[in-house]
Amino acid sequence: MKTILFNPFKKYQENTLLGIGIPATIIGSLLAYAFYVRFDGAFDLHFATDINLWQPFIDNSVNIAIVFLALFFLAKYHNKKTRAVDILNAVLIARIPYYLVPLLNINNTISKATDQMMAIVGDTININVAAIPVSSLIIISLFALISLVALVWYIILLFNGYKIASNAKGGLTILFFCLALILAEIITKVIIVNFPY
Amino acid sequence: MSRLPIKCPSCEQHLNVSQLSCLKCDTVISGSYLLPKLMQLPQEDQDFILQFVLHSGSLKKMALQMEISYPTMRNKLDDIIEKLQPNLSKL
Repeated sequence: MKTILFNPFKKYQENTLLGIGIPATIIGSLLAYAFYVRFDGAFDLHFATDINLWQPFIDNSVNIAIVFLALFFLAKYHNKKTRAVDILNAVLIARIPYYLVPLLNINNTISKATDQMMAIVGDTININVAAIPVSSLIIISLFALISLVALVWYIILLFNGYKIASNAKGGLTILFFCLALILAEIITKVIIVNFPY
Repeated sequence: MSRLPIKCPSCEQHLNVSQLSCLKCDTVISGSYLLPKLMQLPQEDQDFILQFVLHSGSLKKMALQMEISYPTMRNKLDDIIEKLQPNLSKL
């Protein structure tokens, strides 16, 4: 079970992983559209007031492409035998936990709780903490916790997939991997924010 | 049959063969012979090499039969190559 949840790349063949990763990306994009979520960065997720069907699809395509390129070049530098399909599978499968986060916004629960809170804390001079509804606090805290778990799960999957695809070892592997992810986050953010679609 | 020890339990150095005997006529040969390179590998690696040869060198076939992904299999082989040729660079 641990292998399936955190390191499916060790056991499953590339066709199986691709067969799960591509439909998961499509379903994840549809969920994002249904629950007003924009994946506006490789490791970002925000709620939107208005959304078009193609936006989550383009968001995910940009995120997948940039993370794939960053990790593929790093993996090729480390080990010339690295196959593109293994890195692509790592990126596709790793994003699955993140695709579950939009489900938390059923009936705009998170958006409503955030709006309620922002209406109170938005006035930075006279913040009336007592006026914040406890339900909003609980909903936002739970959302933050679940999002964090999903993000950690996403990165663990990505790292395990990268490690198996490239056979990278040693302490520097983690450092270079983190640098590649930071670079991917910056590039995706710049692309998605500066090219409105 | 008990497993052939390849490292000294006391100092972890590779062991040499110092005696060989014929099971039929009890002839005994003494000396100091190095173990072949493949036999210096851990048992798990030797089993992997045996399977690799039995699968005609196809990692894909091996991966399918052993229900392990192809890159995991290839990494295992790369690690064994590295053990056999410590100075061999991956690049």
